[in-house]
Parts: sequence; C-alpha cells; structure tokens
Amino acid sequence: MLSRRALIYIGERLVLIAFTVVAVSSIVFVGVHQLPGNAFLSDRRIDAAAQAALLHHYHLDIPLFDQYRLFVSGIFRGDLGESLVNRGIPITPLLLREASVSLEVGATALLFTIGLGMVLGVIAAIRQNTWIDYLATTASVIGYSIPNFVTASVLVLVFAVYLYNWTGGTIYYEVGWDGTYGKLGQIFIPAFALGFPYASIVARLTRASMLEVLKQDYVRTARAKGLTDRIVIIRHALRNALIPVVTILGPLTIGIITGSVVIENIFGIPGLGKEFVNSILSRDYNIVIGVFTFYAAAIGVANLLVDLLYTAIDPRIRY
Amino acid sequence: MATAPGVATPDEYVGATIVREQTNLWADAWRRLKRNRLALVSTILLCGLVLVALVSLFWTPYPIWRQGVASTYQTPNSHFLLGADAAGRDIVSRLMVGAQISLEVGVGTQIVVALIGITIGLIAGYFRGWLDGIFSTLINIFYGIPDLLVALLLVLLLGRGLDKIIFAIAATRWMDMARLVRGQTLALREREFVEAARASGTRPNKILSRHILPNALGPIIVQATFGIPQAILFEAFLSFLGLGVQPPTPSWGAMAADGFHALRIAPHIVLAPAIALSLTLMAFNFLGDGLRDALDPRQKR
Amino acid sequence: MTAPVLQVKDLKTQFFTDDGVVKAVDGVSFDLHPGETLGIVGESGCGKSVTALSILRLVQEPGRITQGQIIFKGSDIVTMPDDDVRDIRGKDIAMIFQDPLSSLNPVLQVGFQIEEAMEAHQKIPGKIALSRAVQLLKQVRIPAAETRVRDYPHQFSGGMRQRAMIAMGLANKPSILIADEPTTALDVTVQAQILELLRDLNEETRTAIILITHNMGVVAGLCKRVLVMYAGRIVEQGPVDQIFKDPQHPYTWSLLQSIPRLDADRKDRLLSIEGLPPDLIKPPPGCRFHPRCRFRIERCFHDDPALMDVGPDQDAACWVTMRRALATDGEAHA
Repeated sequence: MLSRRALIYIGERLVLIAFTVVAVSSIVFVGVHQLPGNAFLSDRRIDAAAQAALLHHYHLDIPLFDQYRLFVSGIFRGDLGESLVNRGIPITPLLLREASVSLEVGATALLFTIGLGMVLGVIAAIRQNTWIDYLATTASVIGYSIPNFVTASVLVLVFAVYLYNWTGGTIYYEVGWDGTYGKLGQIFIPAFALGFPYASIVARLTRASMLEVLKQDYVRTARAKGLTDRIVIIRHALRNALIPVVTILGPLTIGIITGSVVIENIFGIPGLGKEFVNSILSRDYNIVIGVFTFYAAAIGVANLLVDLLYTAIDPRIRY
Repeated sequence: MATAPGVATPDEYVGATIVREQTNLWADAWRRLKRNRLALVSTILLCGLVLVALVSLFWTPYPIWRQGVASTYQTPNSHFLLGADAAGRDIVSRLMVGAQISLEVGVGTQIVVALIGITIGLIAGYFRGWLDGIFSTLINIFYGIPDLLVALLLVLLLGRGLDKIIFAIAATRWMDMARLVRGQTLALREREFVEAARASGTRPNKILSRHILPNALGPIIVQATFGIPQAILFEAFLSFLGLGVQPPTPSWGAMAADGFHALRIAPHIVLAPAIALSLTLMAFNFLGDGLRDALDPRQKR
Repeated sequence: MTAPVLQVKDLKTQFFTDDGVVKAVDGVSFDLHPGETLGIVGESGCGKSVTALSILRLVQEPGRITQGQIIFKGSDIVTMPDDDVRDIRGKDIAMIFQDPLSSLNPVLQVGFQIEEAMEAHQKIPGKIALSRAVQLLKQVRIPAAETRVRDYPHQFSGGMRQRAMIAMGLANKPSILIADEPTTALDVTVQAQILELLRDLNEETRTAIILITHNMGVVAGLCKRVLVMYAGRIVEQGPVDQIFKDPQHPYTWSLLQSIPRLDADRKDRLLSIEGLPPDLIKPPPGCRFHPRCRFRIERCFHDDPALMDVGPDQDAACWVTMRRALATDGEAHA
C-alpha cells in the first residue's frame, strides 16, 4: 500500500525528527548545566567523599564536552541515564511508562476534543444564524477562555461533592487515580477537563470551515444530483471541511501536552507532566532533560502523523 | 407617437443605488465594534478590572498579607464578601491585587512580545533572503516546543519573580506576533505605495516605520488583544503549579492552587479566583473577536 | 405540437437581503418541449442562472421562490414536498454547472461521483454502477475511460472535466438537462467541442437541453429556440434563426451588434451597451431597459411592456420594436 516514495518521505521525516530531538535535548542539556550547584549540594547527609563518588558516578566530574558526547551517544542507544534524586533508577523505562499514561489520558482528550468539537461545529454551521449557532459560537469562546484547572475544579465539585449531596448519598463518584493506568471511569473527568478548551477551538474552526465548504460549487452539484442533505453534509462537505481542522492538530497536540502538565498534577496521574514538575521542584536535572527529549520526539511524530493524515484526506496532496 | 431617440447617460438614472460615504478603516471599524454587544460588555468589564487594579494600589478592604484577619476557611458573609482562605486572609482584597498582577503580566508580556515580534517580523518580511531564512527557522523551532515546558525551564534557570515570568512567557510566545508581522510585511511590501517610496529613495527604516508598520497595525492590535489572555492563562498555570509568582503574592492562579486542597469543604477559595480568571479571559477574547471582525476589510457592512 | 415537458408559469424568485428585496426573477414564463434545445441568454445578473436553479428548487437562503408554477409531469415543482423534488433532481431533470473544477468534489474520484448520481436514485450493485460510469465516460468521448474513472478531478483537463460533468448529468437518462454556462470557463476550441458533444447527445438521446449563457455565439451553436432575459424578465423569445436575423427588442439587437465581427470595417467603433446594469431592488420605472436604450420613446419611461407578438412564434417586450426603430431612425449602424 505504501509506495516507495512514501517510505522515503517517512524515512526523511524520521531523520529530521531525530535531529530535532538531539537539538532540543542538547539545548536543555547545556541550559541545565549552567545552573549553579548541583543536585547533591542540597543533600546535607552526604559528606565530601561520598559527594565526589556520586559526581563520578554520574560523570559530572569530567569536562562538559565529554559529558555531552556521552549524553548524545546515550540518546542514540535509547539510554537517558539515571535519576539524580532516586539513585539507581534508569530514566528511559521510567519515562516510557509515564509517557504511556500521558498518552492514555491525552489520546482520550484528543478524541473527545475532535469528536465533540466537530459535531458542535457542524450543527452550528448547518443552523447558521439561528439561536443554536449564536449560542454555540458564544459558548465556544467561553469554552476556551476557562482555564483547565477551573473546569477540573468545577467537575470535581459537581461529581464528588454535589452529586453525593443531591442524591442523598447514593451516588458517590470517586475522583482520583488508582494505580498507573487508573480505574475504569476515572479517566473521564481529567480527559474532559484537558480537552474541553480545545474542543471549543475545534468547534469554532469546524463551523467556519463548514460554512465555507457549504458555499462551494461542488456542494451545489451534490444537491443537484438529488442526494439527501445528510449525504451531502457527511460525504461531500465534511471531508473538505476537515482539512483546516487537520492543520491545527499539530498545535492542538502541543496544547494538550501543555495542559496535561496541570491536569496530571491535579488528579495525581503518574504521567510525564507530573514527572516534569516534580523533577523541576526536586532539581533532578537528568529527568528534566529526559522529559524534554521525550516530548520533542512525541511532537515530531505527531506532526508526521498529521502530515500523513493530510494525504489520506486530500488526494491533491502528495509528497 | 413622438420619437426622441437619444443616448442614455448613466447619471440620468441613478435608481436606488446606495451611495456609501467615504470613511477610513478606523472609523469603519469603530462603527462596527460599537454594534458588537459582547465586545461592548467586555470592554466595560475590562475597564472595571483596570479600575479595581488601580484602586488596589492604594487601598483594599483588608491588608492582603495579614493572616488571621478572618477565621480560616471563612465562608462568604457580610464582612468578608468572598470569605477567607486557608490562612484567614480576605479573599476580596487578594482578588483585587490579583487583578493588578494579571494585568501586569498580560500587558507586560505583550509589550515585550510586540518589541521582539514586530522587529523580527518586519526585518524578516522586508529584507527576506538569508535573514528571513534564519528567523523563519527560529520561529519554526520555537513552535515545535511546548511553551509551558520552556517557561518552566526558564523559571528554573532564572528564578521566581514577576519580571522573570513576564520574560519567560514572552520568550515562548513571541512567534505568533513575529509570524503575523512577517506575513503582513511580505504582503505590504508589494503594494504600490511601498514601491513608490522605494523608487524615490526612501531608506528602509523609514519605509518600515512610515508605510508598512501603520498598515499592519490592525492585525497587530488584534493579535495583542488575544495575546493578553493567553499570557494571563499562562501565568495562572505557572502559579497553579507552584512555579510562578513568589508566595504569598496573590496571583489568581496561586490563590486557586492554595485553596485546592480544601476544594470540597471550602470551594469559594478556589472558585473566586477561578471565576475572576474565567471572566477576564472571556472578556479579552470577546473583545479580540470584536476587534478582528471590526477591522476585517472583507466584512460586507 | 407535442405537449411540453416543462412549463414555467409566471415564476418569481426573490432574495431577501439586508439591503432590500432583490427581484432576481420577476415573472418568467416559458414552455420546454421534449428533445428541444432552448437557450437562455443575458448579461450577468439578469436572472438566468437563478431561473435555472429555481426549476430544481436549488435556490438557497436568503432567496426563495415567491410565486409561480413549474409544471413537470403533471405536478408543480414549487409546491412539491422536499423528497419529491430530490427525486427529480439528477434523475428526471439534471443540472450541470459552469466551472467543472470547482463543481466537482476534489477529494472524491470522478467515477465515484458519477456512480453516486446513479445510486442516489436506484439500487444498483457496485460493479454495474462502475461499468455504467465507464460507459458514460465513453459516451462523452473521454479516452481511456476505464482508467480515467478512478482519477480525481484535478487530474483531468478543463474540457474533459466538463465532459465528465455532462456524463454525471446524463447518468440517469433525464428528460431535461440544464447546462449553466458550461463553456464559459473553457477556451474557444474546447468550447466548440463541448457544444458539438451536447448537440450530438441531444440528437442521440432526445434529452431536452436548457443552455444558459451570456454568449450569443454559443446559443447559435446549439439551440433551436432562445429566451433573452434582462433584469429578471424575458424581453424577447423565439426561434434562434429568426432572432439572429431579425431581433425586435433593442437589447437583443444591441447584444448582437456588440459581437465583434471579423469582417467589420476596422474604422467602425465597437458598439457596447451604455449604462449600468439595472438595480434589481428598485428597478427603473416603465420599461426596465429604457435608461440604456437608444430607441426609447416617451411611453417607455412609465409603461412597462409585456411580451407582445412581433413575428411568427416570436415575442418581444417593447413599445417601439426594432422594425419601427430602424425605419424611422436613419442611423441604425454603429
């Protein structure tokens, strides 16, 4: 199914991603090593000899350039080193696991975002200039103006507190996160809070895009052929209206990554976002660098997937 | 039947054509903006916000630093209109000072973003060539990195404090302005009046400042108007994570974070700053929408 | 004379805009006979496209058919329930449009769009739909139809795209094909080919064709009868040969005069119709063409002429008519 040209293109992009990943982590690496002191100075239990041993163990006593070489070769081997704070814990498997948790929540949020956003956008476009449209447009501005922790707080209040009070104690919704991947049903509130502002943006965009598409000549042709409104909208209009939405999927993914930092902290979800904040607070620089590396790779892959999605939707685009 | 063949002239018959008065872009825009009710309400709200922030420079109902002014977790009553937080501090007072901070951050970042972004955009768009290549690559690189992460890293590097936060936020969001101005410059430099100026020997910096920049002002203002709530949200995120302003500075995000542990028993501690944030952001976004529609030359009215 | 297949009676379609009510179609009546080729000609904005769209009730908000009847197969399209209209579209009456690049969905294969036209009206298995689509492409003289059927619109040339559109229109063997400016977006040689194709198809299949255009030359190339429209009304109608030889309405006459001729004297000025297009919200009083007419008389300023008999099977809405104008007014040439 994939032509040779397609494979070459994907190959080129993967190389580009590798470059970017190395570039980003290098910048972070250098930046972090400018910080005064090190992670161990603050730990007063260690005496000078033990400290020297630790520095040696983490290769922090050799010249910066050599450290950098070790670091880069490590990336290509997939080895991001060891945690500074929790000694002995290798970073790569840790972050991999946490990345999968973030992916679980993030992907759910993304699906919700696109699904709800598009449905609302299409409805608003079909019912243009009616009260539904006006309501939807205003609601979407409100939607992306509310910070995600506000949405999260309100949801927690409603589901964990008020629901319980109003039903006299029969319904108790457990808000929180059990285990690594959470219990069934615990994902909805965090995913909703995470995706809600972006759902609003997608709704706005879909509406505008739909309105443009509905004015197009080929929609008129489809109607002239005697197709039902439903088919005209779903088969003809929607696919073309999707194109601008796919365009923002890249920035959308970055937005969800950003938002996940806050959401994971609120709900205690053991994902990359929570790890990142923790590592900054505890000055575990190796993890900080590792998280950046992961995110850079994730964004690169996401952008590649988006570009491939383009070709699937629009046959005019072939790389 | 009298024959009077003649040639009809266009001005003999005007019909019902509506003759539009000549107005300029700004007057037109102002007229359109006034009709947008949401934008109008938002402007009033924002003026109120500015007023509150100004007042709070000199006076708040209760001193914001003093703990124990009210009982801890005090629910809203006649003395403390929005209640008190976990340390017994009056929420209304803290909210007022929070308004100061939000506005400082919002406007401050946009000033920095404007300085950096407009400069880079103008240079890249006007001179093109390798300069544009470098700047565009830079812009693309920055776009590929989650802004929050970079901002957190910068906070780590530079330390806490409002000015450092302003810098960190501006450093991650300047690209929007740069890209916008670059696009505008690219389009405007092909216009006849720019060509005329070039032909008459005007120096580039004069062309940029006298011809290109004024014509790009509309979209720049809209971008800045949208940039303010973005920045305020950003700061709220940072403070909520505990990596923003220094405690006990009452930024709205920090206030929400402080009260989060008591969400179930004393929701007002979180809800007060949360609603203040949401309303402020909404107001700026509605205003931005209104400005954008008002300044859009493609509008039919 | 066989019974007409389509009868349009006093059709009025209006657009309710913020600036006023635009009377795009203001009392149009005509009959279409089976297998007939009818041209509707006029400048931009005269209402010819809106008339065509009204026939299939494709006019969208803020436009609406406000009056009149469109009788097809015994029923009035204007008052029919939506499902019945949809049934007619693409099956009994098909319509193709001006710019085939924008009128075909860019993300769907051409063959699929043709099959779709068939599947909208009958249950037909995929294989048969496909072979029929290939057959149609062959009928409109597209080479390598079997492979072309899977191509996308942007892979076709302009002329071939228009042929594909025609194929789509004929998929269900309609009794009427409405072609809205089918040649306007094409260059001259391709135009001629398309017109020839339509002519042949009309002869082979006996499908009536309504051809909408602003180009008198195109009408001459295909149609037997023509309606000339101006400001939402028909100002002249009749057989094409007759109208071209002996136009009675000053507007028709001006249109024909303004075609640049290869055999004209180089010194002769190119005649154009002076004045501006009419305002359809508040049309001029009296005859709508009078502000731009060189032959108007006193009466034209306040009496609105209806279509009157001016020749065998030819009607014109004019108080003066060219016959009288050319007789009294010596200088009738440019």
